[in-house]
Amino acid sequence: MSTRIDKVILGEGVQKYSSTKSILLRLKDIPVRKERDGSPEEVPDVSDEMKMDMGKDTVHLVSYQGEFLKPCPGTREYICCGYQILNVGTNCPLDCSYCILQAYFNRPNLRVHVNLEEELSQVFQTIDSEPDTIFRVGTGEFTDSLALDPVTRWSEIILPGFSKRKNAVLELKTKTANTRGLLESGYRDRIIVSWSLNSPFISRREEHRAASLTRRLECARECQSAGFTIGFHFDPLILHRDWMDEYKRTVDLMDKQIEPEGIIWISLGSFRFMPVLKPIIRRRHPETSVLDGEFVLGLDGKMRYFKPIRMELYSFLRELLNQWYPDLGVYLCMESDEVWQESMGWTPETSEGLCNYLDERVRKFFG
Amino acid sequence: MDINNITEIIPQPVVLSNIDDSPGPCCMSFGFDLNPLIQSIERVGLINPPLLKRDNQGSITIITGYRRIKALKSLKADRAECRVLSGDDILPIECLLLNLYDNLAVRKLNDVEKGMVLARLIPRIKTLEIMEHYMPLLGLPSNKATLSSYLRLEEEMGFRAKESISQGQLSFRNAMMLLDIDSISRSSIIDLISNIKLTVNQQRQVIDYTVDLSHIEGTSIFDILDEQSVKKINSDTRMNNPQKGRALIRYLRMRRYPSVSKAEREFKKMVSKLNLGKMVRIDHSPSFESPYYRLEVLFKDGPSLREKLENFMREDIDILTDPWKM
Repeated sequence: MSTRIDKVILGEGVQKYSSTKSILLRLKDIPVRKERDGSPEEVPDVSDEMKMDMGKDTVHLVSYQGEFLKPCPGTREYICCGYQILNVGTNCPLDCSYCILQAYFNRPNLRVHVNLEEELSQVFQTIDSEPDTIFRVGTGEFTDSLALDPVTRWSEIILPGFSKRKNAVLELKTKTANTRGLLESGYRDRIIVSWSLNSPFISRREEHRAASLTRRLECARECQSAGFTIGFHFDPLILHRDWMDEYKRTVDLMDKQIEPEGIIWISLGSFRFMPVLKPIIRRRHPETSVLDGEFVLGLDGKMRYFKPIRMELYSFLRELLNQWYPDLGVYLCMESDEVWQESMGWTPETSEGLCNYLDERVRKFFG
Repeated sequence: MDINNITEIIPQPVVLSNIDDSPGPCCMSFGFDLNPLIQSIERVGLINPPLLKRDNQGSITIITGYRRIKALKSLKADRAECRVLSGDDILPIECLLLNLYDNLAVRKLNDVEKGMVLARLIPRIKTLEIMEHYMPLLGLPSNKATLSSYLRLEEEMGFRAKESISQGQLSFRNAMMLLDIDSISRSSIIDLISNIKLTVNQQRQVIDYTVDLSHIEGTSIFDILDEQSVKKINSDTRMNNPQKGRALIRYLRMRRYPSVSKAEREFKKMVSKLNLGKMVRIDHSPSFESPYYRLEVLFKDGPSLREKLENFMREDIDILTDPWKM
């Protein structure tokens, strides 16, 4: 994926940050303008112009005033993995039809939090204050972790601090092939590079601007060969014609490229979305088939596949992955105890149980 | 001109046939019932003189009083006392605002009319001012999403849809759902909504199900609604409209959610095999998402509860399971 940035907007007071200076240097041929007062004329709601590109070609440098480290907004109705989000920026240059970010943020543009470097000490202070807790931290929740890395060099900024901590791991989650920064860095310990995967059909039709499945797996192999621990996320699993054959093709591709013993975990999550996302997807991606399944209202207020359908999806993938290698750390994202038991054959029972399971994987891989 | 001085203009008789009463650039009336106004003019005459504009070529357009002129014309009146401005005296934006405030003073605008107002303001007034000042005047929240929706309604909806909205048959929110579908399909949904008089919630479901089905089955919404099964419900003389509405939703839902519907049917069948009596019920959670089922027992006192529970325990309750496991 090549970034197609054609505009840079400077938020208030960002010029003093070193990240701003280095980003502007890297984007020296791109027109830059200042944000004006944040008036409604200047910063339109995304919701009113669902056809618009959500500013996917505009980098907006802002000084983020909220908490940089926050727990993933799980719900008590389903079992949550206890992930922590490092909020480096919001919105994403990729344009996956199913992406929840289309409805999540009310402001457009690729918003880069340029005060990250200055605020990282606060983040590490939090981590250091709880030495007995393992912090599984990721940057890929509100944006793709690596899509903007050639511009932001987040990998340069974040990796050193995490690499030297014994009670944290950093997961960089991506659908891109932007691994050069990582590969050039000297940091490997406690860094996980992970790729979101899907069936070739979904990847081709729905994951616009993302790297091809083959390319993602080639990059994963390169990272693995270069000493990185890797992970995968089959999220969202989407029901479609010949889905079993299609997902099997993906696992076959993984088999060709990846050493399974170097995989720390693989998550499975079926497609779920806030009801408000549906008209946005219909409007922005009229050819999509991701909405074709039988979605019902989940206990968390999000739409999700009818329970037996989810169980079938997970059971199939679990079996497929298990046949490949029996110790892949496969887990379900935001599912109930019942679905866990029925489709995985065991259950962590609670969010705490799942946290313990994943923490154990961290200890196994990083000590 | 100082538009505060309008009332000082002395009304003069104007021949009604000389007035252009097609909905002009100031018009913000749609889907109205003229009869109350006609009756009022018949009983007490024209109380407020319309305000007209005569341009350099002598043609006369309406600034305020569009419906009054229409009512007078339908009463076959020859002429009426009107205030007349010269085209040079007043700017188009002033005409528009005069009409807006004239309307707002006496009535609430329907959603189509609000769209008309906003579409007419947009080329003349800054978006920010429209949002901050005029949208609250129209009783609308001040945000661009709402503004954009009303502008789309005005620009993209056909007459038939607007008519349904102004008559309250089609809700504004549901109308928005119709904007992205082709006009033939849109018309067939609106016809159905009008014929069966679907509730707002039913309208939303019909639109949602048919849009989904057209994507899934690769067919048009028109074709789905033109099928025999739908026509049969629509023309069934043994059912009243609420029954037809429910039957239609049931049919479309079954088609859109075959697995969920099948599970619901199987569950019902399973429970019906138990002799529970009238005071005992077993229900599943919405779409079976919760792992739990609910047993409800109505009883008068302890002994009657014991009796019901004992009867219940004698039933073959082991057959109860998730319907997809049967």
